[in-house]
Amino acid sequence: MRISIPELLTNDGFITAGDREAIEQHSAASGLSYIKIALTSGYISRKNYDRSIQNAGYQIHEHPRDEAYDQDVLDKIDLTFAHDRLAMPLRIENGKVVVLMASPDDDLFIDFIRFTYDMEPEIILASDLDITWLSNKLLGEKYTKSAVFELMKRDPDSSAVVTFSTTQLIVIFVIIALVTIGLVLSFKNTSIIINVIISSFFLVAIIFKLFLALVGSRFELHQAVTKEELKLVVDDELPIYTILLPVYKEDKLIKKLIWNLQSIDYPRHKLDIKLLIEEDDDKTFNAVKNLDFPAIFEVIVVPFHMPKTKPKACNYGLHFARGKYLTIYDAEDIPDTDQLKKVVSLFGKLPDEYICIQSALNYFNRNENFLTRMFTLEYSYWFDYMLPGLDTLDIPIPLGGTSNHFKLDELVDLGAWDPFNVTEDADLGVRAYAKGYKIAIINSTTYEEANNEPFNWIRQRSRWIKGYMQTYLVHMRDPVALWKEIGWKGFLGFNFFIGATPITFLVYPLLLTFFICYVVFDLSTIRTLFPDWVLFMSIFNLMVGNILMIYINMIAVFKRRYYELILFAIANPIYWLMHSISAYKGLYQLIVKPFYWEKTNHGLSKVNSPTNVVK
Amino acid sequence: MKLTSGIYLSILTLILVIYYLVCGIYLNNLGYYNHESLFYIEKAKIVFEGTGNRLKVMGLTAPLIPFYATFIFTGFSATLAPVLASAVGTAVLFYVIASTITKRLNDDGYIWLLLIIFLFHPGIIYTAASGKSIYLILIFFFLFFLNLFKFYRSNTTFHVSIASLCLVILIFCDYKFIWLTLFFLPLVLSITIHSLNLGEQESIFRLFLSFNSPSLRRKLVNKTFALYIILFSLPLAAVLCYKLLNLTHASDLNYFAESPYATWNVLIDKLSFDQISTNSKYQIPETSILLSARVVLFAPMILIAIYLFRESTYQVLTILIPFAFIEFLHIKYDKVFLAYQYYMIFLILAYLCVIFKAHTVKNHKSFKLLLAVTILFQLYFGWDYLKNSLVPEERNFVKVLTENKDDTVQQDNVDVANYLNSLPGDAHVLADDAIAYGIIAFTTDIKPVIMPYQGNFLSALESPDKYVDYVVVATAKNIVSGYTQLNNKYIISIRHTIPNVNFRKVYETNDWTVYRVITNATEGGFDSRLIRK
Repeated sequence: MRISIPELLTNDGFITAGDREAIEQHSAASGLSYIKIALTSGYISRKNYDRSIQNAGYQIHEHPRDEAYDQDVLDKIDLTFAHDRLAMPLRIENGKVVVLMASPDDDLFIDFIRFTYDMEPEIILASDLDITWLSNKLLGEKYTKSAVFELMKRDPDSSAVVTFSTTQLIVIFVIIALVTIGLVLSFKNTSIIINVIISSFFLVAIIFKLFLALVGSRFELHQAVTKEELKLVVDDELPIYTILLPVYKEDKLIKKLIWNLQSIDYPRHKLDIKLLIEEDDDKTFNAVKNLDFPAIFEVIVVPFHMPKTKPKACNYGLHFARGKYLTIYDAEDIPDTDQLKKVVSLFGKLPDEYICIQSALNYFNRNENFLTRMFTLEYSYWFDYMLPGLDTLDIPIPLGGTSNHFKLDELVDLGAWDPFNVTEDADLGVRAYAKGYKIAIINSTTYEEANNEPFNWIRQRSRWIKGYMQTYLVHMRDPVALWKEIGWKGFLGFNFFIGATPITFLVYPLLLTFFICYVVFDLSTIRTLFPDWVLFMSIFNLMVGNILMIYINMIAVFKRRYYELILFAIANPIYWLMHSISAYKGLYQLIVKPFYWEKTNHGLSKVNSPTNVVK
Repeated sequence: MKLTSGIYLSILTLILVIYYLVCGIYLNNLGYYNHESLFYIEKAKIVFEGTGNRLKVMGLTAPLIPFYATFIFTGFSATLAPVLASAVGTAVLFYVIASTITKRLNDDGYIWLLLIIFLFHPGIIYTAASGKSIYLILIFFFLFFLNLFKFYRSNTTFHVSIASLCLVILIFCDYKFIWLTLFFLPLVLSITIHSLNLGEQESIFRLFLSFNSPSLRRKLVNKTFALYIILFSLPLAAVLCYKLLNLTHASDLNYFAESPYATWNVLIDKLSFDQISTNSKYQIPETSILLSARVVLFAPMILIAIYLFRESTYQVLTILIPFAFIEFLHIKYDKVFLAYQYYMIFLILAYLCVIFKAHTVKNHKSFKLLLAVTILFQLYFGWDYLKNSLVPEERNFVKVLTENKDDTVQQDNVDVANYLNSLPGDAHVLADDAIAYGIIAFTTDIKPVIMPYQGNFLSALESPDKYVDYVVVATAKNIVSGYTQLNNKYIISIRHTIPNVNFRKVYETNDWTVYRVITNATEGGFDSRLIRK
């Protein structure tokens, strides 16, 4: 006699009668198998499930990955169905279809086998994770190709698969040639012209950033979603919300991740959380497998395909997303507990053209060391002042790496993330504006782990700066078209925000060296390259620019009430030098390996990260 | 007509611009100038037309912001630029205050009252038509306090940082305002205590609670310190950087404040001191204790303002800070009379406080009547203070404005400049703009004039025969002749050290003598253009 898994689990005391009923309702509504909901929605831990199954006399196959498979058999099942049922056929043997199943009582799947292959199944019981791994590996090729090439096929102009277009290369080499010829023919005049261009550029950039910060700081007075509005949100009316969690070798963070996810104030059955694990990432895979408490996420294994980037993993995960809205969190993220509800409320208020809402990012380990303090200063200024400033002025917002909440359909329509771009988020923000969509900012914060190790920081930052360069090059392939798409404000904003950032960091150490030589060695000959008014502008930029940027950092942390960090803003010029190192590294990588994803190691912080319960 | 709408405010502002321009140009035609505007005119000429170390003039001329503000108008007319700037700037001040009224009170009455002040108050007319930088001081003083009061209400970083930015600009409009920060030091603690989330309302008990709880104490200290940084780091850093620039480009940290080449105040302060030391009659009104009383008499509306803010100790203290500030100025700069602008700040502050708190008044009709009476009172004392000012320039303004007679104060400078203008284009002139900026301001072409900002000035001073054809020298009657090397002693010393060189008077006024540099070999007869006044 066949056993009923729900009954078994209830009898063993792992699931209450109430839970069983909730799972069954959820299963009927979503089409997911009972065991999938039980294992991925926090009802039972895998270890307890295994224990129950084994006590009932079943044997779990420990190495299903070694099993032989027949491609013809596999071709008859779709990955999404295998995912939903946590089961898959492997081959035909002795007139039976050998199938891997996480739950032997899944009648729907057994009927599917009988109907499709016209044979009886021979069930091999396996861990749901192993089945997921194998199904994604063997059935996921179509989805992987789509994740990698969809944008490139559909909208090649928006794909970073080509780093430099031919026109861009011609322009770059013509500029280099002109500068070289100019320097050879008239070193002094050419240098003066370069100085004038750089100084003017810096001056405009400083004024623009100050203006943005002032505009953005007014956001402090405005609450996108108020507490009263939040109280009006009815749980039963909330839509399904997908959360993508792309991870790579984050085994240390899995437990923390579960705690953070469990704190989210959103009905459990309406959460569709997907942990995206790379095929070769056994560390994370085993960490999930060894969890001894219930997980509230579904694992999706991303099959190997170059480029091995986060956007590719997200695109892959997108195929299985069931939500109306979707967001991305990193493994170590601690979002405000009410963030998802706030987003739903804000989407309800905003016009349809708003397809994305960006939350502020900040750090929970800000007081750990110098680097984390500086990082916190930077993020406070970026997310609390700059992005709201861009938002107010209707300039494309380069999205932050996580906590950007999308409308799923529009995201897919947009072509999702560019897997060849290493700051896919910034690129997506600009692309959204170019396609006539809008992005809003919300008064909710996600706390991340600030990079506390200098080399790790440089790796991460070099990727970001390289990504900015990629994004700039992609969207500036046809500047006139971009101008028409996003308007003059957007165009200038894009140039001074996305384009200027890497250039500023590349030029900064050169100018600093000039200045130090001028002051320390009293190189009066430098004066010949800086006519009076150019020198005046340069000194103004140096003094006023530095002071204002430091000050804006100060007011940003003041706003966050991180009073202890205020004086650290003075150290910004040193911090910017680290940016410059990263910028040069990023530039080098842009040329030699543009799609290489510099992995940031997380979980290095020793600071405890309490959940950020919003009262 | 609803004055509180944006379009009408703009029209009113435009009308005021025209009104002030008429006043300013009228005075200008009568020959009214003051030291400050002449100084800006001369420095602007150097920046746009000069040849030499213009960077130093461009960057270290103080006060910096008013100097740059005149730049914008130099294209219209070099000599009229400061007046144009002050006329437009004062109208902007009206717009700023009026738009604040519009945002806070939907009542035309307050705009009419403001309009009365801006049309008839002599201080405002002086601000607008004199070409001085008072308009900028008033604008940023107003914005500084406005944002501070807004911060008190909303407790937002935005307003406190804007207040700080305004303070920086204020300091670069008049360096003396740096001392304002001194009196905010104790006040910030009071502000922080108020902003802590405590059940107790009385300030003293809040302080008691904060000091006796370790966590509150830590929070209080952190927040107070942070507020100091947010409010004062920007002005202090800006001043520090500016001082460093002075050090690197002029080898003197305080060049901008102490060199007569960098600022007009130095010379005027010396004159003021001379006036005091030679005056046998002691100036009673400038006695310390009476100064605040004089201010209250000048702007009695400030009493109404204090009354309106009576429920909040630290806000009353905020209003009292400018009183402490001027008393401090009087003690620190005891050899200088308090200029009219330091009275004017109270006029603006009082009106700001009134419009900020007017919504708490129950009977607006009576309140506006009270304000109208106070304003009439202020108009009278405004005229009285300006007419009897201890600063000659201010008295002179009223005199020229009311008597409709040509102002002859700058006539010497104009005459000498006209003479220099009549010289052949290739004739080089040596002049020291520490005191001769008044002449340079009226000179059409400054290229042939060698002045201290140029590298060859010292060489020309040592060997005038090799560099210049003419030298402008201060006569013994010139009250500031002691502040330049180019005075009578210079002629004697050069004659003594270089026997081959001689000087021939070619033009002379009461304050100036223009000498033609001649070598003994080429010594000629009497210059026909010599005019003795």
